[in-house]
Amino acid sequence: MKTNKRFIAIICLLAFALVMAPTFEARSGGITNVDSGCTCHTSTSSGDVSPFMTLANGSALPDTYNANEVYTFAFGFTGGPGDVAAGTQDNMGGFNLVASKGDLASLGDFTTMTAGQLTHTPAGNDQVNWTVEWTAPSSGSVDFQLTVNSVNGDGSQSDDDHWAQSTFSMGAVGGSGDETEPADGLTVLFSALLLVASLLIIAVVYVFYRNNPSAFSWESFKPWIAGWLTSTDHKKVGTLYFVAGLFYFVVGGVIALLMRIQLAVPGNDFLTQDEYNQFFTLHGTVMIFLAAMPLINGFANWIVPLQIGARDLAFPRINAMAFWLNPVASVLILTGVFSGNAADVGWTGYQPITSWPGTHSGATFWLAGQIMLVASSTLAGINFITTIATMRAPGMGWMQMPLFTWSILVSVMCLFISIPAFGIGLIEAFLDRTISTAFFNTSAGGDPVLWQHLFWYFGHPEVYVVIIPAFGIISETLATSARRAIFGYKSMVLAMAGIGFVSFLVYGHHMLTSGMSPWLRFVMMITTMFVAIPTGIKIFNWLKTMHGGSLVYRTHTLWSLGFLVTFTLGGISGMFFPSIAMNTHMHETYFVIAHFHYVLVGGVVFALFAAIYYWFPKMSGRMMDERLGVLHFLIAFISYNGLFWPMHKLGLWGMTRRHHTYFLQANEYSDVIGTLPAEASGWNMFITINAFVFGLSTLIMVVNMIMTLFKGKKAPADPWGGWSFEWLVSSPPPTPSFDELPILIDVNETDEAKPNWLMKLMVPDDEEVMY
Amino acid sequence: MSDEYVTVDGVREIVREELRDHGITKQKATPAPKKDSHDDHDGHHHINGWGPHDWEHGAPHNSWAPIIMSLGIGVFLFSFASTFAMNESMNNYVFSAGSLPMVFVGFAIISAGLLVWWRQDLAFDGHYEPKATGVPFQNIDIRKVGMWVFLMSEMMVFSSLFSTYIRYRLGTESCQVILDNHNTYSNGLPFSPGDACWVPASYFIAGSHSESWTLSLGGVGLPDTLVPGAINTFALIISSFTVVMALKTAKREDMTSTERSKKVRNYLAATWVLAVMFLVFKMVEWFIGFNIGPFHAPSLMEDGFTIHNELYSFAGAGHDGGHIDVNLRLSAATFFVATGTHGAHVFAGIIGLTYMTYKAHKGGYNPDSAESIEYFGLYWHFVDLVWVLVFPAFYLY
Repeated sequence: MKTNKRFIAIICLLAFALVMAPTFEARSGGITNVDSGCTCHTSTSSGDVSPFMTLANGSALPDTYNANEVYTFAFGFTGGPGDVAAGTQDNMGGFNLVASKGDLASLGDFTTMTAGQLTHTPAGNDQVNWTVEWTAPSSGSVDFQLTVNSVNGDGSQSDDDHWAQSTFSMGAVGGSGDETEPADGLTVLFSALLLVASLLIIAVVYVFYRNNPSAFSWESFKPWIAGWLTSTDHKKVGTLYFVAGLFYFVVGGVIALLMRIQLAVPGNDFLTQDEYNQFFTLHGTVMIFLAAMPLINGFANWIVPLQIGARDLAFPRINAMAFWLNPVASVLILTGVFSGNAADVGWTGYQPITSWPGTHSGATFWLAGQIMLVASSTLAGINFITTIATMRAPGMGWMQMPLFTWSILVSVMCLFISIPAFGIGLIEAFLDRTISTAFFNTSAGGDPVLWQHLFWYFGHPEVYVVIIPAFGIISETLATSARRAIFGYKSMVLAMAGIGFVSFLVYGHHMLTSGMSPWLRFVMMITTMFVAIPTGIKIFNWLKTMHGGSLVYRTHTLWSLGFLVTFTLGGISGMFFPSIAMNTHMHETYFVIAHFHYVLVGGVVFALFAAIYYWFPKMSGRMMDERLGVLHFLIAFISYNGLFWPMHKLGLWGMTRRHHTYFLQANEYSDVIGTLPAEASGWNMFITINAFVFGLSTLIMVVNMIMTLFKGKKAPADPWGGWSFEWLVSSPPPTPSFDELPILIDVNETDEAKPNWLMKLMVPDDEEVMY
Repeated sequence: MSDEYVTVDGVREIVREELRDHGITKQKATPAPKKDSHDDHDGHHHINGWGPHDWEHGAPHNSWAPIIMSLGIGVFLFSFASTFAMNESMNNYVFSAGSLPMVFVGFAIISAGLLVWWRQDLAFDGHYEPKATGVPFQNIDIRKVGMWVFLMSEMMVFSSLFSTYIRYRLGTESCQVILDNHNTYSNGLPFSPGDACWVPASYFIAGSHSESWTLSLGGVGLPDTLVPGAINTFALIISSFTVVMALKTAKREDMTSTERSKKVRNYLAATWVLAVMFLVFKMVEWFIGFNIGPFHAPSLMEDGFTIHNELYSFAGAGHDGGHIDVNLRLSAATFFVATGTHGAHVFAGIIGLTYMTYKAHKGGYNPDSAESIEYFGLYWHFVDLVWVLVFPAFYLY
């Protein structure tokens, strides 16, 4: 019982963090200390320096200020080496002043404004006190944070220099300093991150407790947590991917909701323009790289070795390495959030803005994090390609592989071949931003469009990297639900491979307005239209699978049906874009947003939900609650369409993406460029409400999962009647998953009995019997 | 192929025979846990993730190496970006010395992770060598396939660098052409000092632009700066040979294991020395320059070929006294990053070779486990091959 106290202490600490989180504010200055100007002189904090701040006439600061009045303050410090040296030497002091409200303005040559803060000029270094002009805000209490350096004047930075910091406050007139202030977007996000992280830690501790309540001590916790941190088992690593992916799914969702609050009404100022830039950057990056890909990797880790009858992935330690790069990279990507200096360049990181010193310092760390993710994807790629190529169970030829495994192979191949280009682009941009190379520096002859090529050569296959596994998942769930083999297995494989192949030829359609040669644009237009052919084949195969089978309506079936509807709609809206003329018209509007959210949320996320309901019993050994699942589906499907369908309309009205607000036309005859019809306001509010409903509906699934873990019915080995290898082993599978390698005898399609010429080339003569 | 009808059980039997013939069944499932070993309830052996690992039980189930190395990489990238930040005018960087120690801390953490990885690997003697079961790779070492797959991605890395090079090389007006055209672009616009144009690295390396001494070999003049690159080319080619010799020796059965280990170690050490030599000469060529007798051959830095040089006085060929002030930052950045990426690959090879030499010294390579050298050799030949492409493209053209 003694050791339990440590846990109680941890829980109390976390609870304290939860309560305190909303009060934290982003630290002024920034993470790199480049521009904070306070402790930079490698000096020590000391009590012998006392900062002061008074009115210009020397009287103390008043308790309250008058709204919008202009004040002049005198401030500085006494004590420390600078005070002793006063009058005898140069370089006596420095300072940095931040006002939480109102506007500071520099007076004279000794002070200057940098990044919203007042600091000294080189000439101001020779002073120990300075003056400043401050325009009061209209309401609310104000804090002045004054940091001073007392310097010994020898011109070099040393420990003999001291610094100190004080905060001076004033209330609004009448002392109404407690007036409610609008929430600061970054504070909200910071708090949300802290909340989610704390909840995650509590969940980890709780899961450990529930595993074995009597062994709830540090001595038994240590090997348990070490087992998770060091595991190379594909199932454990898969679970880690899964947890990380869900965590960032929530983070990305919170960011999206904050943006929707901002856009709910025209001319809103919930988020500043600067914050909005950071938010849409992080939303895209987090959702694609830190949520969707880890979730897919989680399923791939779990299911692929089971489906092909392998004991583990080919390189288990490299697999663990590929995972652990992810959380570290995510910290780098989100670094700037805590200082208000996150990347603000869009998830595409277009040049030359990304290599421009005016962007936030967080962009450098964002690039660094992406470089780590590239490394992670490369390692994962080696692992999955090798595993699928070499570790299929005896009897399983290429054309007997389950479609989910095929989809992972195709998607990993796409990623693997394309991501080095992105990596090299990132390294070039990273070096631009650090040691100042000139790759994307236009004044030195650099070409920003080169970045676009390197990015989209990766970026377009990347889209298919996340959607093709969704195809695989739907093929599995629909075939199992329809209680028959998938219709047209071979055409499904060829269609997936075809989409993967075409994805390398079409990337230019993201750049049709970038001034590419018309000839190239035309080629990209035609090839992009080709994508519809394999996609159409897949849709028809799924329909035919249901038509020939007898459908059982499970939760995963519902999500698969929902996927068919929304993905088809998304595909149709996508067919507008290859056309160069339409593309030019709709470029950068909400129509684009609507399209890719229809395919990424209605496609990828719906398929991932289907996969969760389908494979969760296999992974946890417990059956999920079908009633909650159906409730989740109904709420999410309706609110999802309410969320994204009106965006088509808004886009055609001319609402632009990546703009932090919009304005309405005064009347229907006004033609101010960029204004929207009056109805746009109502539709935006409608979208925001639906966004919240959709976001909250996900909680139903999370609750369902947690309840299932503890209270769910035990799952049999094959709860749905699937027939691939993963249903052969018990739920959850033992470690190692297969004591003896399984052998595949039956195949989905009997016409594989005789190998065709291609298969014959790939099989040595004495192996023919396998077909 | 036969058209005989085969029953399901018959197929099973045939497949099992097949597996036995290929020795795949030798690769048993993880053996039943020994009662006296420290395994936990779910059959995990060796919860100790620090190594050394007992390969009798198959691949490690636990390892601290991945999480430690990931943290190290994160610390390294973070502190590197804190140490160097581009300045406001984008032509140099601001150096913050305070974060520099963290860069080395990052390196140290990565090294610690690598040491854990190697410690686990040291006992690997080839008895646990997973073999492929899927067509068309049956009975091939899985590690071999993995290495080839990895090289596929490496191919794309250098393709992307060459894309950058080709884009800028072909899309940027050559300074020589501008000078030949009497300070005008080929479209007729005048060239103003500080404009960007292309000065290939070969101008400094293989050209004879500088006043300094030119090495003469048997009456043939050889531009001084080309010497390190030329030596390097041969160093890499020879190192490819020594690594093959290491493999060949490790597979030899006709000598005692002590004798063999010594020879393998020496061949690997020779590879190591050649690789280090490559990087040293690269540094000489980039930063130091070298002296032979009374003559000093300038480095690229001394020549002014740097990523920050905005005003290089380009004299070109055949224009005595005439020159233009050009911005060659883009040319330099492309050259240094492309050849630098190749250098980083050589460096990674050196790290691997250091461990392999140590393992060979400990007698870790025998005919059973010699394949490890082969798979490293695949990587090393690739790096060599890339140099064979990089050298003419960047040094001679």
